[in-house]
This record gives sequence, C-alpha cells and structure tokens, in this order.
Amino acid sequence: MSPTFYLYLSAILFTIGTLGVLLRRNAIVVFMCIELMLNATNLALVTFSRINGTLDGQVMAFFVMVVAAAEVVVGLAIIVSVFRTRRSASVDDANLLKY
Amino acid sequence: MVFSYVPVLALFLLAGGFAVFSIIAGRLSGPRRYNRAKYDAYECGIEPTPQPIGGGRFPVKYYLTAMLFIVFDIEIIFLYPWAVAFAQKGGATVFLFVEMVLFIVTVFIAYVYVWRRGGLEWD
Amino acid sequence: MSPAIAHVAAALLPGAADPTTSFPTPHLDYRALLPMLIVGGVATLGVLVEAFVPRGKRGITQTVLALGGLVAAMVAVVSNTSIRNITAEGAISVDGPTLFIQGTVIAVSIGALLLIADRALASDADFAAQAADVPGSAAEQASVRAGFVHTEVFPLAMFAVAGMLLFPAANDLITMFVGLEVLSLPLYLLAGMARRRRLLSQEAALKYFLLGAFSSAFFVYGMALVYGYAGSVKFADIATALSSSTHGDPLIIVGLALLGIALIFKLSGAPFHWWTPDVYQGAPTPITAFMAAGTKIAAFGALMRVLFVAFGGLSWDWRPIIWGVAIVTMVVGAVIGVTQTDVKRLLAYSSIAHAGFLLTAVGGITVGTADSESSVLFYLVAYGFMTIGAFAIVMLVRDADGEANHLSRWVGLGRRSPLIAGIFAFFLLAFAGLPPTSGLWAKVAVFKAAYEGGAAPLVIVGMLASAVTAYYYVRIIVLMFFQEPAVDGPTVLAPTVFTSAAVVIGVAATLVLGIVPQPLLDLAGKAVPFLR
Repeated sequence: MSPTFYLYLSAILFTIGTLGVLLRRNAIVVFMCIELMLNATNLALVTFSRINGTLDGQVMAFFVMVVAAAEVVVGLAIIVSVFRTRRSASVDDANLLKY
Repeated sequence: MVFSYVPVLALFLLAGGFAVFSIIAGRLSGPRRYNRAKYDAYECGIEPTPQPIGGGRFPVKYYLTAMLFIVFDIEIIFLYPWAVAFAQKGGATVFLFVEMVLFIVTVFIAYVYVWRRGGLEWD
Repeated sequence: MSPAIAHVAAALLPGAADPTTSFPTPHLDYRALLPMLIVGGVATLGVLVEAFVPRGKRGITQTVLALGGLVAAMVAVVSNTSIRNITAEGAISVDGPTLFIQGTVIAVSIGALLLIADRALASDADFAAQAADVPGSAAEQASVRAGFVHTEVFPLAMFAVAGMLLFPAANDLITMFVGLEVLSLPLYLLAGMARRRRLLSQEAALKYFLLGAFSSAFFVYGMALVYGYAGSVKFADIATALSSSTHGDPLIIVGLALLGIALIFKLSGAPFHWWTPDVYQGAPTPITAFMAAGTKIAAFGALMRVLFVAFGGLSWDWRPIIWGVAIVTMVVGAVIGVTQTDVKRLLAYSSIAHAGFLLTAVGGITVGTADSESSVLFYLVAYGFMTIGAFAIVMLVRDADGEANHLSRWVGLGRRSPLIAGIFAFFLLAFAGLPPTSGLWAKVAVFKAAYEGGAAPLVIVGMLASAVTAYYYVRIIVLMFFQEPAVDGPTVLAPTVFTSAAVVIGVAATLVLGIVPQPLLDLAGKAVPFLR
C-alpha cells in the first residue's frame, strides 16, 4: 500500500482538528482538537520517515509527543483554574478582555 | 528475511502460552470463593467505591495525580532511542551513559519538587 | 544493536542508515552553548530551591540565584563574541546574530526580572498568593493572610529565558520547536498569576494558551511537510534541497506557510495578533514587560534565521507575503491603537505596530544584504529597553486596588509627579521615533534598509503609520501634562531599588543609543550575517 494514503489521512485529521478549534466552544474540546492536530503531525512525520528512509522523523515524533504532554499539563491547569472560578469552560464566556 | 521474524513469533508464543498457563493453573490450584467484587467487571480487585451520584464531578485530586502520571510517563519515551544507540557496539558508551544520568537527574528534580510540595499526598 | 533487531530494522526501513554502525560522540562546543546551559541550569536549581528552602527565604534566594545566573550568562555571551560555530551536530548555530540576540534577551530579562522580583516580594505583591485558589474564596484569603508568595515565578521566568536563548539559535526545525515551547509554556502560566483582577488574568492565560498551542500545532505540521520535502529539518539541508530542485512543490510552499503563521503569531504580526492586547492587559505587568520585550526579540531572530538561512531560495515566494503582513500589521497597530483607553492595551497595539516596522526590514531584504539584518538587530535592542522601562512606569501608577491602567486615571499625572510622568513621556517619544531617543535611529535604520532593499511602498506605509502612532503617544503626553488632575487621582508608588534600577537601565539605554547610536550599529553590523 502506498504510504501517501497515510499523508492524506494525516491532512484530514489536521483539518478536522483545525476546524474543531475554530468551531467548538468548550475549552477542553478545543484543546483536544489541538492534540488531534499534533497527532496528525506525528502520523505525517512517521510516514515521511518511512518514505525518506531516515529515522529522524520517528525521533521527531517523540519530541512532539513529549511537548504535547507538557502542553496538556500546563493547559489543563489553566482550564481547571478558569473552570473553578467561573463554573464554565466555554470560550464564549471568556469575554471580559476586549476592545 | 522471513527468519528475522522468528524472535517476534517466539515472543507471541511465549505471551500466549503464559496467559493459557495462568488461567489453567488458577482453575486447578486456587480456592473458589465468589463474592460481589469477583462477579463485577474487573477494576482492581476490590469493590468499587461509590461513584459520584447523578453525573457529579470527581474531586480535582484525581486530576493532579493523572497529570503527574502523564508527565513522568511520557519522559521515559526518550529511553527508547537512547537504548538503541547505547546497544550499538563501539559507540560513545561513556558519553551516552553520562547524558542519560543527567536526563534522569533532571526528571528526578521535578519529582523531588512534587514530593516536597505535597503533590504525592492524597489528603 | 543485536543482529536480529538490526535485520528487523533493515526490513522495516528500507534505505535506513546502516543500523550496525556505531553511535559516535556528538560534537558539542560547550563554550558556545554555555549561556543556554547556565540559564537552564539556574532554572532547574530554582525548582530545587522551591523544594528545599524554607518558605520565608525562598524569595530572596530565588532573586539572587536568577539575577546571578543571568549576569553569568551575560558574561558568557560577551566572552563568546568571536565564536562563529554550528555545533551540537548542526542543531544549534552560535553565530553573530545568535550572540547579539542572546545578549539582548539576557539584558532585557535582567530588567524584567528586577520588576518581577520587586512585585513578587513586595508586601502588596502583584502575583497571586496561590494561583490554584478560586478568586474571592476563603481559601484565597487564607493564603493571602498566611503571606504565601508564588516564588515559582522565578524558575518559570528563567525557563522562559532559556527558551528565548535557544529559539533564535536553533539551526533545525525540531530544536526551534523545542525552544518555542520552552519559551511559551512558562509564559502561559505566568500570564495567569496576577493577584488582582484575577478573572482577567486567568482569561488572558486561557486565550494565550489556546491560541499559542494552536499556532504551535501549525509549526509542527509545517515542520513535518518540510521534512517530507527535504528529507531533513536542518536548515542547511533544506537550503540544499531548495537549490537543487525546481520551485513550486506544494509540500515546501505549504510547509513554509504553516511555519510562517506560527512565527508571525509569536511576534504578534497581523492577522495573527489578536491575542496580544488581551494577554498584555490581563497578565501581571512585570510579566507583560518580560514577554513584550523578550518574546519579540527571540521570535524575530528565529524568523530571520528560518527565512534567510533555510528558505533563502524561496525568497521570491515569501517576500510578497511578508510585505502584506508588514503593511497589515503596521496599519492595525496604528489605527486600532488610536481608540484604546487602557494604557497596557495601548502599549500592546504599539508593540504590534513595532512588529510591523521591523517586518519592513525583513521584507525589504535582498537575501544576503547585511544592512537589513543589522538594522533589525539594532531595532530589537532599542525596542526591548524602552518596553521594559515603559511597563515599569505603568506598574508604579496605582489605585487602592492595584494598578490604575485606564487612561482617564492618568490625566494630570505630570502635575502630581513630574518625574514619573516625564520618564513615561520620554519612553513614548522613543516609541514614536522622535529625537533624542534610540527609537529615531532604529526607525531610520529599518526604513533605510527596506528602501535600499527595494521596498519603498513599505517605507511609505511605515511613515504614515508612524505618524498615526505618534498621534496617540502625544495625546497621552498632552493628557498627562496639560490637563487638570482629578481630585481622587491615583497614587504613584515610590519606586524601590529594583524598579528604579530597571527604569534607569531603560532610560539610559534609550538616551545613550539616541545620542550615540553608531557603536551599537557597528556592533550589529559586525554580528551579521547569519552562519549558513
């Protein structure tokens, strides 16, 4: 099977993630969509690694995974503290800062 | 070419064999005392504590534990490429060893912080 | 590696480098890496201080440690000035621009750290006693009464500095990504740590985090596409791949576009600037000063390295985009800034406009002309110091419940405290690019570089935008000096040694560079070009 199919899949996943970030209203779901984008990247990286015949892409995927985990920890800390303050994780409710 | 998969196949057989052996040996040798916990779907061997009623929220303490797990769990990923490099003959063994010690010390510093600041205490 | 595993690897990865070869010791030039190692090490030590030093002594220990580390890193940078070396197996390039930007980042970080230390250790601290407490809850009041201090701000800030040092030095995309995240993640947390107006602060952190993570995702996907095109993410290999093939491969074009989005987001260029005013307003003011100065300096270093070193072969494709971004950024920063009523938001739009002015020099480049690179470097120094100084003044003007950021509260400030208002007016003149300040020469340098690079239209838009921004700066000066103060006007905090030091550094740098800019211009000229 041609590895390009994996690239199409990764592009589709990345697009779904992007649209999710732009359309969804719950901060947790928005954040999950960002994670989906990062995982789409990992798929693209390992596929290109296979196509190029170098291992770099796989190691880069490790880095992306570790950074994604660090982002989860920081992000959920912020989202949880916002939720505990407002009893809501909707990004539409975060509207005090404007103009 | 095909022979290179033999170790993988052997591992499959070993794993499957162990599972079958454990189940049969348990049937033959273990006592049979059934209670409520044993009839439940397996969770961790004891009766589950009461769940939050009506879709209530879990205490935020679980969140902290889960986060700590994720961070320390994912750091270990770097051991895999390191192990592959370390296993190669004639490589920079001393350098690799020192690097990994530094890495683990750094992770351990984060662990010490969590421990000293009470992140590991449940109550 | 055992032969069996090697065979499996060979079967799974046709064409992979022969897995039986040994792993050689990588070449690491520790002297060149020293500034980053010092700052990263000090940040890690800061974590240990949090773990073991008793609560009452943490603040002072952290302050000494962080300032000492930054000074040591500065010494290391200065002693490295002759180094031009690509090290760490091609991952990090310690060349002239890197050293120049690292020196600038460390200098403004020292200023920002003085402000942070001042506002973290003061009795009416600006940082939350315990950021996890729900605002207005009994737990929060208990934490405040107990005198808790979030001394974690020091290691977090130092980690961010380490990221700012690595970001412009990275010579491949994955290192750059790691630098970007080490820079950003602590800032997301720091933005949410204000003690007063905590809802605003938390909201700023939420917005900064979600949008920042979104832009990081663009960066990594761009990186993956570039990797697919060039077979490597090292800048030298990307440049080689570009020179040896025909243009127009969608992989590389889309990849560069995604990378560009992330970088332009970080330096708050339009149309990816929307987070800037919200985050600048909501974050604690010392943190705002730190990220306004440091992030922009580091991000411009990274942007120039990506565009000039890796993607110089595509300059015909990216230059029109940079032109467009520069124009939109200048117009947005200038026009929307006019309507602002909050001094921190106003400075945020001012910072957006400055990003636009800087981009004119980047867009005007004919790859390889040293002038535009050195003009950007000079501008970054001038901008960094005036930003630290201006936010330090904002920090001092206070009401009963914290800072008085609304411009209506600044009316007549010049009558009440002429010195503070005078210094602020001086920084506003510098932002506007009027003599006798460094802002004038910075603008002259970038516009000259842009003009000589053939970007005359950008220079015209830049001049017009400068005029509009000058209007809102002068309006504040008029409002401070030529209007009657309100009866219940804000008080001006007597600056402590730390804040005074930061303000003095800002004023001195802005004034000296305004009167004798040539030595620094020469130094910037010697620092370029980028090592390829």
